[in-house]
Amino acid sequence: MKKKNFSLILGVFFVAIIIFLFLLSFVYLPYSEDQMDTKNRFSPPSSSHLLGTDQFGRDIFSRILVSTRSALAVSTSSVLMGTVFGLLLGALAALSPHFIESILMRFVDAMMAFPGILSAMVLSAVLGKGVMNASIAIAFFMVPVFARLSYSMILESKKKEYIKAAKSYGASTPRLFIFHMLPEMFTRLITQLSSSIGAAILTESSLSFLGLGIQPPGASLGLMLSEAKGYILIQPYQALWPGVILSIAVLGFSLLGDGINEIIKGEPDYE
Amino acid sequence: MLRYILKRILSALLVLFFVSLITFVVISVIPGDRAILALGIDATKESVEALRSSMGLDKPFFERYFSWLISALHFDLGVSDVYGERVGSLILSRLPVTFSLTLFSIFIASVLSALLALLCQMKKGKGLDGAIRGGVILISALPSFWISLVALIFFCGKLKWFPVNGYISPDKGFLPFLRSITLPSIILALGELSLLTRMFRSSLINSFNEDYMTACKVKGLGRVRSMVHYGLRSAIIAPITLIGNQAAKLFGGTVVVETIFSLPGIGRLLLVAVEQHDIPLLEGVVLFITTMVVVMNFLTDIFVAIADPLIRQSEGGVK
Repeated sequence: MKKKNFSLILGVFFVAIIIFLFLLSFVYLPYSEDQMDTKNRFSPPSSSHLLGTDQFGRDIFSRILVSTRSALAVSTSSVLMGTVFGLLLGALAALSPHFIESILMRFVDAMMAFPGILSAMVLSAVLGKGVMNASIAIAFFMVPVFARLSYSMILESKKKEYIKAAKSYGASTPRLFIFHMLPEMFTRLITQLSSSIGAAILTESSLSFLGLGIQPPGASLGLMLSEAKGYILIQPYQALWPGVILSIAVLGFSLLGDGINEIIKGEPDYE
Repeated sequence: MLRYILKRILSALLVLFFVSLITFVVISVIPGDRAILALGIDATKESVEALRSSMGLDKPFFERYFSWLISALHFDLGVSDVYGERVGSLILSRLPVTFSLTLFSIFIASVLSALLALLCQMKKGKGLDGAIRGGVILISALPSFWISLVALIFFCGKLKWFPVNGYISPDKGFLPFLRSITLPSIILALGELSLLTRMFRSSLINSFNEDYMTACKVKGLGRVRSMVHYGLRSAIIAPITLIGNQAAKLFGGTVVVETIFSLPGIGRLLLVAVEQHDIPLLEGVVLFITTMVVVMNFLTDIFVAIADPLIRQSEGGVK
């Protein structure tokens, strides 16, 4: 029986919403994200303010649109940095002599021992606040994830016949890695990339929520939620939409990862 | 078995060494001179130099690192710049909050996901199975701080079931203490639900498909008896590793929930250290959390090795 791949369909749909909002922010922005209108503070949704206004009378819809920019920029750049360094580290470990291999992997384990939000917070203290620094901070905890992935995949493929064949022809180690191992790793990398982007968006918004990421008056979903927190019991609706959009983004990317995984592997745990 | 444990201890020690090195290196490049910070910008050059040498800041890097490491091994993490108290006692005073939060939420998550997985296993491939699997993914993807805000509005604002703010220590009564950490624990548990349910489900399904389950049926063992004695017993081992690892991760990830619910835990201490650039406090808290993570993962591995005869016999087949 052919089962529908719900994860993929929903994932693509949610990610499309976020990308649509991201593109919309360049084409159509009703108000500037930091334009204040103190006469209209906390105004409810209306035709002039689609989702109402916040405590400074700023348009919530416009701020959400602009927030998708920082969310996507920080998450994709941090995941890409993490991927490159992680891949190299994992490959280095897998292709080194046993002694160096075990030392390198213990180093990866050590990086793994820093919970995501912890390392991001510490690095934000080191680097300072802001978009670029948030990306680097988040990239730090992506590195061990990708290092382990590439390490285990290379160990697997080292056993394969065609790798042994290529080696017997005298292919150098970098050549083996780039031409023979990397293409095979590609599909699993894509899966991990997509789920990692979801995790990175979540971490960026958590950092901003704690006041360590995007700084006011800039717009970030986490920052908007942190500002809404102060008025939560009198103006609960201010917290609604940034949270919904953030959930859609996180859910979308992780479902997309699951969906792609399902295509590649079928469903191994199903029977 | 003993060899496996020794091997694991050695590798855990090596990991701990790297952890301390990363912590120290990363934090040592935080901009700003601690001596100038303590004395103010108007201080004379001589007094700054004097303070620097009394703090040991003029020594070479590795000398500073090893003296820090050695005093950390004696549980001496220095004195916090912000609080003026010993870092060790600051951490100890905040530990009960974070510890009970972690324990409570991993307990809720494990029980709930085991039950959900059992439901899935019984209705495998039917509507309920899919609904539960979709539902937990959805719930776990929701950002914890957003759920916290919504929960604050609903349970604390509208229904007034739980106190809005603050932590009540258990010596002021066990029930008020439980009430003050229930909501944050549930919220933390929701984030773990998806991973744990998936794990429980697939390991249940695998174990119920094993030959020995058929053997049970052939022998005429009752459904409940074969489920409890044979099916569940082997199905529980794989999730235990995950539960241990997730508990360790949770321990370092409570900062957001602690901030929202105003719980005075280790996460809050970390946030203060980061905001105020309190170097000794930051080093201490980071080293403490990461050490706890490594130790918890180590204990999980040992526990699993003892519980699982397969690993025990192969002297630790898992690397």
